[in-house]
Amino acid sequence: MKKINFIFKTLFFASILVLVSCSDDAEPQEPRGDYENGIIISGEGASAAAGGTISFISNDYATVESKIYNKVNGLDLGIFLQSMTLEGDNAYIVVDNQNTISVVNRYTFQELGKITEELSTPRYITVVGNRGYVTNWGSTSDETDDFIAVVDINTFEFIEKISVGNGPERIAFNGGKLYVTHKGAFTNNNIVSVINLSNNEVSTITVKDRPDEMFFKSSTELVVLSEGRTLYDSNFNVIGHTQAGIATINLQTNEVTSEIEFTEGIHPSLMDTLNGELYYAISNDVYKVGINATTPATDELLSDVADISFYGMAVKDGKLYALDASFSDISKVNIFDLSSNEKTNTFDAPLGASKIYFN
Amino acid sequence: MKQVLFWVICFCCIFVKVNAQKDTIHNRLNEVVVQANKRLLMNSKSLKVVNLNDSIITNNLESFTSLLRFNTAIYLREHGVGGTSSASFRGTSASNTAVMWNGININSINNGQTGFNSLTVGLYDELNVRSGGGSIEYGSGAIGGTIHLNDVLKFRENKEFTNQIVSAVGSFSTISSLYKLKYGSEKYTVNFGISYNISDNDYPFLNSDFRNSNGDYENYAINFSNAYRFSDELVLQFFTTYFFGDRLLSGELPNPTSADDKYQDINQRNLLSLEFKRNNFRLNTRVGYLFQKYKYFDNKDSEVFNFGSSNRLYTDITADYTFQKFNATVTSNTRFESVYGRTDQITERNRKEFSQSLILNHKVKRSFSYDIKVRKDYNSDFDVPLSYAFGFKLTPYKGFFFRANTSRNYRVPTYNDLFWPGQGNLNLIPENSLQGEFGIGFKSNQLFIDVAYFNINSKDKIIWTPNGDPNRPGIWTPINLEETTNQGVELAANYKRLFFNNIQTDLSVNYTYVDAINEATKTAIPFVPKHVANTNIRMNYNRFSIFYQFLFNGKTYTTQSNSEDFVVDEFFISNIGGSYNILKREKQNLSIGFKMNNILNEDYTIIRARPMPGINYNFNVNYKF
Repeated sequence: MKKINFIFKTLFFASILVLVSCSDDAEPQEPRGDYENGIIISGEGASAAAGGTISFISNDYATVESKIYNKVNGLDLGIFLQSMTLEGDNAYIVVDNQNTISVVNRYTFQELGKITEELSTPRYITVVGNRGYVTNWGSTSDETDDFIAVVDINTFEFIEKISVGNGPERIAFNGGKLYVTHKGAFTNNNIVSVINLSNNEVSTITVKDRPDEMFFKSSTELVVLSEGRTLYDSNFNVIGHTQAGIATINLQTNEVTSEIEFTEGIHPSLMDTLNGELYYAISNDVYKVGINATTPATDELLSDVADISFYGMAVKDGKLYALDASFSDISKVNIFDLSSNEKTNTFDAPLGASKIYFN
Repeated sequence: MKQVLFWVICFCCIFVKVNAQKDTIHNRLNEVVVQANKRLLMNSKSLKVVNLNDSIITNNLESFTSLLRFNTAIYLREHGVGGTSSASFRGTSASNTAVMWNGININSINNGQTGFNSLTVGLYDELNVRSGGGSIEYGSGAIGGTIHLNDVLKFRENKEFTNQIVSAVGSFSTISSLYKLKYGSEKYTVNFGISYNISDNDYPFLNSDFRNSNGDYENYAINFSNAYRFSDELVLQFFTTYFFGDRLLSGELPNPTSADDKYQDINQRNLLSLEFKRNNFRLNTRVGYLFQKYKYFDNKDSEVFNFGSSNRLYTDITADYTFQKFNATVTSNTRFESVYGRTDQITERNRKEFSQSLILNHKVKRSFSYDIKVRKDYNSDFDVPLSYAFGFKLTPYKGFFFRANTSRNYRVPTYNDLFWPGQGNLNLIPENSLQGEFGIGFKSNQLFIDVAYFNINSKDKIIWTPNGDPNRPGIWTPINLEETTNQGVELAANYKRLFFNNIQTDLSVNYTYVDAINEATKTAIPFVPKHVANTNIRMNYNRFSIFYQFLFNGKTYTTQSNSEDFVVDEFFISNIGGSYNILKREKQNLSIGFKMNNILNEDYTIIRARPMPGINYNFNVNYKF
């Protein structure tokens, strides 16, 4: 069945190519694959229940398809599908426990190859030119072996390692430099690494505990969400918290210039941005503040957007996508209209659904 | 490794069977057996007990898992050959299977289960598998069924030494060996056994370029037990066992080479038992000390590890009195236990348990007997409900029988459930189940058949779920959540026949059909196959024997919504084997055997992304002297 699917897809794409090459430039572009013009949702999977899987929802919601990678390639991704990066015509699918990045065509999901060499619990990848930069935790029992793997995205070969502090998570490129948030893997950290790609020198910026999502507010300003820590005693009773914050960092001085500070015990997460607004989650609720705000939102924008676990969020084109993740079953994606703040649609999402991408 | 086990087992079974029968007849007249399973059988008249004798065990040396998989109706979930392995009866969970060592429950305090690849079954003389609830006699976890491992000690009128060496070599550099010494005299008897298993276990994954890399295992075990008979009335027994296992945990597809974990475990168990018997009265006092420890290495080359350990002190007193006039026996068991458990994440906790049970067995007439059982537990961590059971057996006509039982059983929360850092839940209560079973059957010298309908309703099942505690959003915590109902049919049959006066044929069949439903969603409980069936056919002709066995395991859903996207496919596995008895004397017996596993070269998995081996071979030698 998978083979037939593969042959069919191959033929289909071959025919598209022929069509495209024959077509007039004035004609509208033919679809580049089954999975263009839609929403891609990745799910981490769970040890025994399922490997990581990817679902596709077309922009008109007419098509909802599960396990697209598995169906196209006749393969499993394994656990845990941590993240994807869409760049050029490719999608880079990072599966941490498998030490594998599967590189696929982002529109067809046909696998082009795998990057595995030297990876050790990879988390996120960003692509700069012909190089991919992959955050790696290394061994979970060693806090000093964490690194950025530099890989060639054409040959899928390993090039070099850049050592960084414990628990590197998200990675983004701006102005010749890589910025890496260090959430701290299985423990904690409170830094953002800055890697100058001209000489691979690493410097760090201290932020609040457990920095995760980030985005560039402008070419000289980086916004980073730090979730803050929950503190335990030796019997793991909760004895306190460290403060969470959303910091704006000046990239010329590498200093925090302004920050939304949260009351201790409040742990925001899942930050995204749209049209000059910041969206973030606290428990199962969504909050919104202006991008230049210095204090947290007082009231929630949306409440109880998930029943089981609010595990992923994205905002785009006036819509907010909230992932209600189950790690033992099919998850859900709830779609909200940001003009009315009403839920408009709910669809199935992969087991352990964690990230949303727009293709 | 599994494969190796299978071969050895099958092989040996046939061979041993012939021998065993002879031995039995020969020895019966002058031996006194301290029968470990006597109490089990006495209290199981309305339940099904399957006995796997030492011949079957000896032929399944490599793993307990494969022994059970091919010879009982239990579903074994094994994470690749040699990996973590758990057992479940009748669609219940792994922590609902209680494993007993010489009558003591040995499920781990940390996770409530027994790892079936952390026990060297070959050293035990006797293995009994009882389906159905057994909390009254066997405590926490005995909801689905119980598995009993026993050392059998025999006093003999004439001093007698016997030795046995079993050695097997198989595919993937697998070696299993075992030595057993038994000595019995009128006053003193001793059993000693030592075993060693090692394998590279790097079988190729079918339809893949990968092998089962990082799957090596190695384990040693020593069993020692002895008994001294002061008089006909007073017998002292001592049992001890030590197991050390060192294995790597293999990886999953698509990139099994990413695995580099290692797991080591040590089990040490000791039990002293003093039994006094006079007329109709029997008193048995036991004291035990049990130690378990595991180390988990995230990286096999690193010295850093996680660990868990427990120390258990156990003592109980059992008193029986038989009222000859009424054919009735009353048994009282008073038990006290103190467990110290810890992990690298959980500081040492102490749990104390006290229980008192009473059992009445009454044989009203030849054709009708019943039992009533009741037990009350006191536990320092929580309240355990009163357990009770009632069962009867009717044998109205010739070999036909009818049996029925009902019982309430429980499973207490584990240390992980209660104390796991940041996630444990101190408000948990024990899971409890109410179950009923009735069976009909027939037993003659040639044919045994038992078909039973069962219904198990379990409440307050402990499930780990995110947002289990509203005060800890997003954190996985265990809660008493689910209600499940399992109903189905369990069948066991055995048929023996002699063809042409010299071909002894033996056919055995086990089958479980279970419809296990989550009452909230009305969908099938994940990881429970509806069908599990196996069959063994053996034929002996003079010194030759051959056998064929198969296992059918139905499809399992891996999600509660029973999504067709996430299933483990059904599989059908066949093995064949044979043996030849080279030397057959009164005091010496030597046979060689051969086994070929998965002869259809089926590419199958029991756990997602963890392929099992294709065709593989095993050769073995079994020498008794």
